[in-house]
Amino acid sequence: MSQTLTPVLSVHPIRALADEKFNVLVEYLEPGCPVTIRSLHHSEDKDYWEAYGHYISDHRGSVSISEDVSTGGTYTGKQPMGLLWSMRPVPGGRTNLRLRKLNVSTPMLVNISVHSGHKGFRDQPALASVLTERWYMAPGVQRININEKGVRGTMFIPPGSGPFPGMLDLWGGGGGLLDYRAALLGSHGYVTMAVEYFKVSDAQAAEPVMSYFEKAFEMLRDHPQVKSDRVGIIGLSFGSLVALSLAAESIIIKPHCIVCISTIHTKPPGKDLSLFNPVFTSKSKEMRVDENNSQIWKDACLPLIEDPAMKLNVGTIDCPMLLVNGCDDQNWPSVETAADIEKMMCEAGKKHLLTRLDYPDTGHLIEPPFGPHFRATNFVIGRTKEKVVVLWGGHTKPHSDAQEDSWRKTLRFLHQHMYCSMNKANL
Amino acid sequence: MFRVRVTTIWQLIEIKNAPGPSGYRKLASLQRIVGTVRSKSSIRQAPLLTAAPIRALIDEKISIEARFLPPHFPVTVCARMHCDDGDLWESFAHYNTNASGTVTLTKDPSVGGSYLGCEPMGLFWGMQSAPGGREGLRLRKKNVETPYMVNISLLEGHVSPNDGQIPELAAVTTERWYMAPGVRRIEIRQNGVVGILFLPPGPGPFPAMLDLWGMGGGLPEYRSSLFASRGYASLVIAYIGHKDLPGPPNRLNVGDSYFKAAFHLLQDHCQVVADRVGIIGLSYGCYLALRIATQTGVKPSCLICINGPVGSKIENGNGRTEEFDKLLADGISDQKYWTYDDQGYVIFKETSLPANLDPENIVKLEKLTCPLMYIVGEDDLSAASIETADLIEETLRAAGKSQLFSRLSYPGAGHLIEPPYSPSSRSSMWAIKPKKLITLWGGYPAAHAAAQEDAWKKILDFLENNLRC
Repeated sequence: MSQTLTPVLSVHPIRALADEKFNVLVEYLEPGCPVTIRSLHHSEDKDYWEAYGHYISDHRGSVSISEDVSTGGTYTGKQPMGLLWSMRPVPGGRTNLRLRKLNVSTPMLVNISVHSGHKGFRDQPALASVLTERWYMAPGVQRININEKGVRGTMFIPPGSGPFPGMLDLWGGGGGLLDYRAALLGSHGYVTMAVEYFKVSDAQAAEPVMSYFEKAFEMLRDHPQVKSDRVGIIGLSFGSLVALSLAAESIIIKPHCIVCISTIHTKPPGKDLSLFNPVFTSKSKEMRVDENNSQIWKDACLPLIEDPAMKLNVGTIDCPMLLVNGCDDQNWPSVETAADIEKMMCEAGKKHLLTRLDYPDTGHLIEPPFGPHFRATNFVIGRTKEKVVVLWGGHTKPHSDAQEDSWRKTLRFLHQHMYCSMNKANL
Repeated sequence: MFRVRVTTIWQLIEIKNAPGPSGYRKLASLQRIVGTVRSKSSIRQAPLLTAAPIRALIDEKISIEARFLPPHFPVTVCARMHCDDGDLWESFAHYNTNASGTVTLTKDPSVGGSYLGCEPMGLFWGMQSAPGGREGLRLRKKNVETPYMVNISLLEGHVSPNDGQIPELAAVTTERWYMAPGVRRIEIRQNGVVGILFLPPGPGPFPAMLDLWGMGGGLPEYRSSLFASRGYASLVIAYIGHKDLPGPPNRLNVGDSYFKAAFHLLQDHCQVVADRVGIIGLSYGCYLALRIATQTGVKPSCLICINGPVGSKIENGNGRTEEFDKLLADGISDQKYWTYDDQGYVIFKETSLPANLDPENIVKLEKLTCPLMYIVGEDDLSAASIETADLIEETLRAAGKSQLFSRLSYPGAGHLIEPPYSPSSRSSMWAIKPKKLITLWGGYPAAHAAAQEDAWKKILDFLENNLRC
């Protein structure tokens, strides 16, 4: 007679944007069959990342990740996206890695497979597998390299004639050019420019001075497909300092709204951004390390927040602000920073401009959703080129929840301020 | 108050340079609007056009929605794409927003354009080749590894996309794929068989399909790539009109042994479940499928036959044609059973009418041992499908095998019942030599589209029931 039926695995949608959810369905198993569903990704850096959940098929021989509960693995419970956000490097590989998409024109390929049993599932070949694509760019989004007037970066333009609101996209002190968040924002209808600075390998790294970012902002604002009065800034870590500085102190440009993630406001008022590094380096002697020798920068930098001579006067900011921070941020006292900013905004009578999102057990690297969480990773300090391991903080499940929730709220915030008009004047 | 979204600077320049007074009038009105938008915006909410899923397989439905428009407002939704040969295909439809300023293509009716009524996928199957393009086109995906990029735009008012400079309110681009990620495409030149094998991702083993097309020849891959994307290994083979086949291209130079070899090649593949191999045939491929199942000794698990004959006018007992090339080379007037409409388009239907076939050349249907689903387009002008289906049904009934037979019959559908949501052609170019010949396939767009959608679903269910359970 015929062979035993091969189980069928399907993922829907099989091609999705990186911030979209999917469902994984397995059919034609035996009823009540213990199986493990596993994700496997071979990164651009050639490392293998995986996640897995243990399931039991129902009376029809099916498992549906969006409805069923994982009883063990890298995630537990009813977690439709656990196969992505709970990924970590496979045992035996390199450690302290960070997973980031560098080539956003191609999708992230994730192999999803179903295996027999729970313990020792890797010992047997998969019963079935499919390949799913996670894209950072929607169809029709254009990606343009920018290298003019000294400004370097990438611009993403949504399909259609526009004009569209614009976003300047800034990352942290690690520098270089990360444009995967900008690609996603481009896919959500914003002309987005990710700006490069602190490039470690480049002898002529763009110095992070105010005028550099002002020029980048102007370039975006004056683009024919951008609505010039609807240009905002999103920044993480050092990028949030840039966003706040431009909003508070620039006389040339005026962002329509800003989003600050893992907020920093340490900058002597009126002085340039380039002072941040020396200030920071001066504190490095006081850095603690944890039991794994990962550097904790947070505590050493806490006193900076108390010093009025060392922080931006955010009270001069006139645009809506969204602050997103993790309560377990071990890299920067970002929650304390947010609280301090709130105090200053209240004193300036501008509390209504501010929205704070603080997430418990969440670390410093709050990124678009469904990416893996990194509690500590390798880091090269810009100026000194020293290689260390930095503790970012956060615990996987709450951090992943925070990424999903904050991204949804960020998109809603941007949509409200950039796509809808205000009935009253914009202050 | 709602204002029209401004066009880009380049479009303004074009309008400025357009001859005649209307260009200046348009420019003047747009300049007022530009002035408004480029300073403080007073627009309530920009219109938004969405499509989900934005990257989908060609046989998946997508939901297209336009939002944040004024209530009870006329809009036009347009779709445009370039096929692999570079021709432009396009469609458009007129809608009116509801009280919330929304148009949802899965619920709302089109009141004009390429299709009427509630047709969620009308923008895709309703496409036609753009005016000024080449004659007699048929849309067929040649490179199944790349998607169709379809640009969908939202225009103000009930307009035709070719009316001129109409401001675009919003736009979205969708990708329509013929292959799921991880599907493997393998060229087959083995045991004399010329074909392409598509394997689903994963270890398998998989149920499988042998995929046969019609006398147009070549190697159309797009149905097999979809089967593999749905979990079936699928081998499409060429049997006429392919450079790698023996003999002159316009002759059928392969016989029963060729098709038997193809079936075995598939069956013996290490990733195929040997007793779960079916056959699908369209047009002449239908006759071949029936012949393989009843006269070559192989035992498929099921057959799907679409709009095809049960006998061949031109085979001599081996399944080989002696005179096919002579039939084509001769002038049109020598074709005994070909008929023509008043435009000179040829209708092949009569050649497959069972009454016109030599009984010796009709397959021995009573020898069938597996389920057979026969699909009829009732307006098929290329094959006598209704009469053929009747004959098959009658023969199987007389042989006590009615339980093997099922029929799907679609009013208004033509000959080429293919995977859904692609435009159909009522006629297309059949030959250029010795003289230009356009053939009538039959079918009317909306009815044919409905047939393709329903038939594909039923084909996949049929395969599930016969190859998986």
